Amino acid sequence: MANRIDERLAALAAGRRKGLMTHVVVGYPSLASTSALIVAMDEAGADFIELQIPFSDPLADGPTIQSACEAAIERGARVRDAFTIAAESSARVQAPLLFMAYANTVYRYGTEAFCRDAAAAGISGLIVPDLPAEAARHEGYLDACRRHGLHNIVTLAPTSTVGRMAANATVASGFAYCMSRRGVTGAQLGLAPDVQAYLQRARQHLTVPMAVGFGISDRARMEQVLPYCDIATVGSALIDRLAGLEPGDVARQADTTRAFMRTLTPALA
Amino acid sequence: MPESSPGYFGGFGGRYVPEVLIPALEELDQAYREARADPGFAAEFAHLLATFAGRPTPLTFAGRLTEALGGARIYLKNEGVNITGAHKITHCLGQALLAKRMGRTRLVAETGAGQHALATATVAAKFGFECTVYMGEVDIARQRPNVFMMERLGATVVPVRYGSRTLKDAVNAALKDYIASSADTHYLLGSALGPHPYPTMVRDFQSVVGQEIMTQLGQAEGRLPGYVVACVGGGSNAIGAFGPFVPHESVRLVGVEAGGKGDGTGEHAQRFPHGRTGIVEGYKSVFLQDDDGQLSPTHSISAGLDYPGIGPELAWLHEQGRISFAYARDDAVIKAVDLLARTEGIWPALESAHAVAHVIEFAPRLGRDEVVVINISGRGDKDLFILADAFADQEFYAFLRTEAERHGQQD
Ligand SMILES: Cc1ncc(COP(=O)(O)O)c(C=O)c1O
Repeated sequence: MANRIDERLAALAAGRRKGLMTHVVVGYPSLASTSALIVAMDEAGADFIELQIPFSDPLADGPTIQSACEAAIERGARVRDAFTIAAESSARVQAPLLFMAYANTVYRYGTEAFCRDAAAAGISGLIVPDLPAEAARHEGYLDACRRHGLHNIVTLAPTSTVGRMAANATVASGFAYCMSRRGVTGAQLGLAPDVQAYLQRARQHLTVPMAVGFGISDRARMEQVLPYCDIATVGSALIDRLAGLEPGDVARQADTTRAFMRTLTPALA
Repeated sequence: MPESSPGYFGGFGGRYVPEVLIPALEELDQAYREARADPGFAAEFAHLLATFAGRPTPLTFAGRLTEALGGARIYLKNEGVNITGAHKITHCLGQALLAKRMGRTRLVAETGAGQHALATATVAAKFGFECTVYMGEVDIARQRPNVFMMERLGATVVPVRYGSRTLKDAVNAALKDYIASSADTHYLLGSALGPHPYPTMVRDFQSVVGQEIMTQLGQAEGRLPGYVVACVGGGSNAIGAFGPFVPHESVRLVGVEAGGKGDGTGEHAQRFPHGRTGIVEGYKSVFLQDDDGQLSPTHSISAGLDYPGIGPELAWLHEQGRISFAYARDDAVIKAVDLLARTEGIWPALESAHAVAHVIEFAPRLGRDEVVVINISGRGDKDLFILADAFADQEFYAFLRTEAERHGQQD
């Protein structure tokens, strides 16, 4: 079966269009919100949707996503909910779904079982920010992804040396996720001052398309990076807009998400 | 070296951090290996330990405690006489020297009890580094005297307001700072845990404690100890005291964890037997966690042991059966502080008192020809307020009220 990430990447390339990846934290603002937000994002033009499985100690996340994870766990989100929601949503939406999870979530579940069940739930790729290439190999994660037809989305950073870029390029599949700056996720902080030079450097090493994320909070920031990559990723900025809403008011959350996305998608043209 | 592949101790350890941090850790690893091969580095470290920190620390025969317990002969390795009151200064001096060598100008540190960050702030002042300390809000509330001293030493103390607002969240916050700042900053990690090379580096610096014990006990008794007992938070004082004895199979190594108030989740910090293997905060080891892999809340009367993870080398030594773990409950710890103060004139940190409490329990069962060494990782000044409370010292409460009034506060 073809991987939906590949299909979407091919469609983007054929239409000479840039892609948008959006982000939901499973169980935030409430468990009932998650499927509705995924559908809203798909309708509003998301090309890829990341479902973050909440973890108690997220190392790569800034205050916005960390608080969302904490709230989700407090409100009862469990790891198995991510699989249930993925299975439900993947049948209803066009956009490929990815899991973003921390290494301990995958390890506790069992690396092989995690990949098997994710694929069965219609997930197309995995982003595990605290599993750099060597650790990913050590944990048997790369093989498990391959066995189950999941793309292993590697991360590159402005600190990545030539050697690291080359090493990551050899295990990259689907697309690569390039951090726009040194630091953690969050909409407030800007991009690295030398972001364009760094993205050009990354491009030389990679054979897969490039997504850029961290600090992409509006159309202007998208327009800054899109000439140098293929996919813009908007995470914290979306979640920031949900923070003030009633956790139970799913319709309002979906409307807010669609409205915000309408301000972003013109940058893709 | 016990490592099976670089940075691993059997199946534990490794480097599980975002890609953005890998280059900094590789640089640190390289710099540390070069420093270790440089006799000049070792000499400077030894000189600072002797002329600044106060090494060697004494190994004291605890004659009256031995008498009182009526069993094994007990020795105390008194790390509390280090300049900042605990063993932490040793790995701080080592890492500060390394940071200087690497051209870094700023240090970040996490802290639980405040002992590690007090030591970090001290070396920052001595070497002229900028210094930022992350400390959980809960710990700030219970270890205010250390916060006061860190700030007087010029450090900025940042309260961590997420998660359980204790040590694990401070580690998380410090790692995030380092992710953003590694170009000019060294993360001066305070225990033998975190991503490679920290567990190895901290163990190496701290192993001076075990080496001194071996030499000093050799002079006093002409032999190796039967037991070395140390409290275990992240494991820096324990691996330091145990390390040099690991190859000596006759020496039993016992780590004492925080038994807290009981066996329920959130009442203790006993990774053994309640923990399970996991990958958190950059390393693979044994963590207190639920079925989903979310870290569990912990409790200990001592902030320094109130942590759900444990250094990977200790986890591995345990798996090998080379070390064993015991626990001490909060109430036994308070009694141990009391007994050690009255019989030996040594007031241990609450963390270290866990090791004392366990020895109080098992030493009477040993013969008089057995020798037990307790690593007293720190002294108890910092615990004044907690102890005054535990001993329900009415005069101390009255003193606090007078002080509060003098500062114009209401209660
Ligand atoms: C006196 C003392 N002992 C022990 C510890 C626990 O740390 P570790 O297990 O790394 O020695 C601390 C930590 O703050 C401490 O201050």
